[in-house]
Amino acid sequence: MRPAKIPTEELMTSGHLACQGCGATQAMRFALKAMGPKTALVIPACCWSVIDGPFPHTSLKVPICHTLFEAAASTASGLKAGLEMRGDTETVVMAWAGDGGTFDIGIQALSGAAERNEDIMYCCYDNEAYMNTGIQRSSATPVGAWTTTTPVAHYKKRPKKKIIDIMAAHSIPYIATASVAYPQDLIEKFRRAREIKGTRFMHVLAPCPTGWKLAPELSVAMARLAVTSRVFPLIEVTDNGSTWKVWKDFEQTPVADYMKPQGRFRHLTDKEIDSIEEEVDRNWQIMLSRERLSADLPGLER
Amino acid sequence: MGEKITFKSYKEMPINAMSIADMTWNLTGSWRNIRPYYDFKMSPCRLGCPAMEDIQRYIFLVTEKRYEEAWGAIIENNPMPAVTGRVCFHPCMDKCTRKDFDQAINIPAIERSLGDMGLENRDWMKKVDASKKEKVAVVGSGPAGLSCAFYLARMGYQVAMFESEKALGGILRWGIPEYRLPNDVVDRVISQILGSGPITVRAETTVGRDIGLDELEKEYDAIFLGLGLMKSRSLGIEGEKGKGIEPGLEFLKKVNSGETVSPGKRAVVVGGGNTAMDVARCARRTGSDVTVVYRRTMNEMPAIKDEIEEAEKEGVHFHFLAAPKEVVRSGGKLAKVVFQEMELGEPDESGRRRPVPVEGRTFELEVDTLFTAIGEQADLTGIEKKVECEWNMIKTTGEAGETSSARIFAGGDVVTGAASVVDAVAAGRKAAGKLDRIFTSADEPAVEEPKTVGIEEINTAYFHQTKRTLVPRIPVEEALKGYLEINSGFLPEQLEAEADRCFSCGVCNFCDNCWMYCPDVAIVRLEDSYEVNYDFCKGCLVCVVECPRGCISTREEGK
Ligand SMILES: Cc1cc2nc3c(=O)[nH]c(=O)nc-3n(C[C@H](O)[C@H](O)[C@H](O)COP(=O)(O)OP(=O)(O)OC[C@H]3O[C@@H](n4cnc5c(N)ncnc54)[C@H](O)[C@@H]3O)c2cc1C
Ligand SMILES: Cc1ncc(C[n+]2csc(CCOP(=O)(O)OP(=O)(O)O)c2C)c(N)n1
Ligand code: SF4
Ligand code: SF4
Ligand code: SF4
Ligand SMILES: [Mg+2]
Repeated sequence: MRPAKIPTEELMTSGHLACQGCGATQAMRFALKAMGPKTALVIPACCWSVIDGPFPHTSLKVPICHTLFEAAASTASGLKAGLEMRGDTETVVMAWAGDGGTFDIGIQALSGAAERNEDIMYCCYDNEAYMNTGIQRSSATPVGAWTTTTPVAHYKKRPKKKIIDIMAAHSIPYIATASVAYPQDLIEKFRRAREIKGTRFMHVLAPCPTGWKLAPELSVAMARLAVTSRVFPLIEVTDNGSTWKVWKDFEQTPVADYMKPQGRFRHLTDKEIDSIEEEVDRNWQIMLSRERLSADLPGLER
Repeated sequence: MGEKITFKSYKEMPINAMSIADMTWNLTGSWRNIRPYYDFKMSPCRLGCPAMEDIQRYIFLVTEKRYEEAWGAIIENNPMPAVTGRVCFHPCMDKCTRKDFDQAINIPAIERSLGDMGLENRDWMKKVDASKKEKVAVVGSGPAGLSCAFYLARMGYQVAMFESEKALGGILRWGIPEYRLPNDVVDRVISQILGSGPITVRAETTVGRDIGLDELEKEYDAIFLGLGLMKSRSLGIEGEKGKGIEPGLEFLKKVNSGETVSPGKRAVVVGGGNTAMDVARCARRTGSDVTVVYRRTMNEMPAIKDEIEEAEKEGVHFHFLAAPKEVVRSGGKLAKVVFQEMELGEPDESGRRRPVPVEGRTFELEVDTLFTAIGEQADLTGIEKKVECEWNMIKTTGEAGETSSARIFAGGDVVTGAASVVDAVAAGRKAAGKLDRIFTSADEPAVEEPKTVGIEEINTAYFHQTKRTLVPRIPVEEALKGYLEINSGFLPEQLEAEADRCFSCGVCNFCDNCWMYCPDVAIVRLEDSYEVNYDFCKGCLVCVVECPRGCISTREEGK
């Protein structure tokens, strides 16, 4: 057999209930390839609590503890403590939550766990709205987007919450963003995170054709354009929130190329898209300046 | 496949609310309204190659470092990649999809590397023994004849080659100079072809003179005529026969045989084709000041573009829109040539604008040698009695070179007029294929318009703009010192780099994208292929978009 680009082991099976072209399932598939079977998931209310399948079925080959919408991080902390008490130090506990469950309702549990530096991984698969309940805006919904609670006449005016900044402020050992369009990078980051002790926060952009009003075949393309337009930079923050590394080795594409194929942005004028591009550029510059700044700092012993 | 579990009472439920079964009973394929399916296309480069070389395939095999197989893939369509890799006018590159992205792949350079490897690794060519009773006479040992003989021999037919000259190769040996195609390469290519199967050679035998076609017909089951064009056309002006005026092809033949030539201080070459370019460049190598005079303009020149550029680099002068009118001799020696100035008039039957004299405008050039290179002609003595000819070429009635006489086929320049090596190779192979079908009473293969892809089907997000890898060449000053081959071929790392640039248009190269990105794990990864599992494919078509090379097509369900 010729060598495969990514591990061939499948811990997610066919038959799941996700929509056509769902980025959240790609994210799960890739993440589990990196994590391996010794992983326990904690999933709060979100699409993934449905995708997995109805009781008593599952489409994952690792155990899942379904929990309350707001409780992913605390349930994960408890699960980890329980496993440790039973002498299992091998299994990694990973909370797997949507953006609503992370940026909004779950943020206090997450903040608490991170502040205590609980030995858990926390992955937010970000489809930029409350998709499971019918596309309501979350604080992860980007500026300009349509959702059912931000209709075209009142499209979202506030920018996406900067969750990475918030998590970096918690001085946790590892933070990374990833995109389903770059599976090798995603897998590498999850592998790296798996080996670290303490709270590791992963943020994966997961296009949602249904909620983004996007042709399903373009979901990976959008995940890629989000990165190349610098809307969703691929970064790693290490040394307890102090060292920033930004991936820059790509050919830059216009923000419009990312936004235009998505129906949720269809109402935006070119001028509005231009001003969004300016904002994107600003955020990018800030990211780069952090990287420059941290380059001069001595690294921390882990 | 897992079973769906339905509890009849709470007593059947597990104590904890936990999963006890998987989801594979849920055949999500029923959600699909459009289906993706693997559907490899023919890469445009292949469609551009007159010999239909499987270019995508051999480049892919190079990327996998499977050189012997890569060479084998060329040999299926062209027995002389070491030759075409050096001299082909590469119409494949004009079709290369990559030209619409950055620059076309340097296909001939890759072809040449493989051709040279095939000459180095003698065991790559497996010898075939005679296995069929039919015998075929192949007349002419240029690329058309060699190709026809090679493919017939590969199928087990016995081939006898007839050649007027003492050595084989036609234009490859006598026309194209060593700085482009070394004799040593020609020798090795020919001996490889002759050694590949039941081929015998009768050199210094001109069919039509020394032995008649009638005689050949008695002894052989079929005849292939690859006679080429070996006679220089004359200018048709006063004083043409005599000292100081030499047919270009004769001159090239002398140069290629290693004879010393001295065209003198000032040489003028009349013509605009490959012969003109090669004559001019050979004359430059003797130190002459050389001017090419052509009756049309640079745009209409039939010579291969690369050759025109090379000639310019080597200091050949060009004088367009002029034709020789009169020759002035003094003391038996050529002194001056009077040229008529021309202008372009209405297009002729070739579509090029016809040059017409500009009334009263002439000029003179002092000339030591005037070379004529305005085209070559076939010598059909003893041939035209047997097969119908037209415009001094053999008339064919079919794609495979069928002539007016059953079982006599023809191909190459003698049919098309001055064309190219690869066209001749293709003609020889087609005739061999057709003869095999006649001998075995096989059906004609169905011809289907092949599906191809263009830049729109390429997902360019997976590629970065790069420059074509150029072959190392010796500097002009060195080149002008003699007949050393100018193009020295790719270094191994250059071969790798250029092969890596290929998009592999329309043909899977196992990049894993479709398998990897399928959100439904509905693509099965096999040893040397992939399969869609329609039980689960929801028809999102992510695989179609993320295939970088347009290998997956779609069809609406229920249609
Ligand atoms: C100077 C020059 C440079 C060229 N450069 C290029 C180039 O760079 N690239 C390219 O693609 N093409 C080039 N061409 C064109 C190319 O060489 C020809 O198209 C090609 O060789 C045609 O092949 P052929 O087999 O039809 O004929 P030829 O190569 O002409 O071979 C015909 C053979 O048949 C023999 N023959 C003829 N009559 C008889 C007979 N009655 N009995 C026995 N034997 C006979 C001849 O002696 C000769 O050996 C060039 C042509 C010339 C003249
Ligand atoms: C406390 C509480 N409030 C509301 C809900 C209803 N609910 C279930 S999932 C969901 C949205 C989840 O959004 P997100 O976390 O972004 O995940 P997604 O569905 O987009 O994958 C909501 C509002 C709930 N289950 N619990
Ligand atoms: S990119 Fe490769 S396969 Fe495509 S046309 Fe060019 S040489 Fe052929
Ligand atoms: S990516 Fe998978 S589910 Fe989507 S169309 Fe292709 S095979 Fe079907
Ligand atoms: S995506 Fe890659 S592996 Fe799949 S068909 Fe296309 S070339 Fe082959
Ligand atoms: Mg969401």
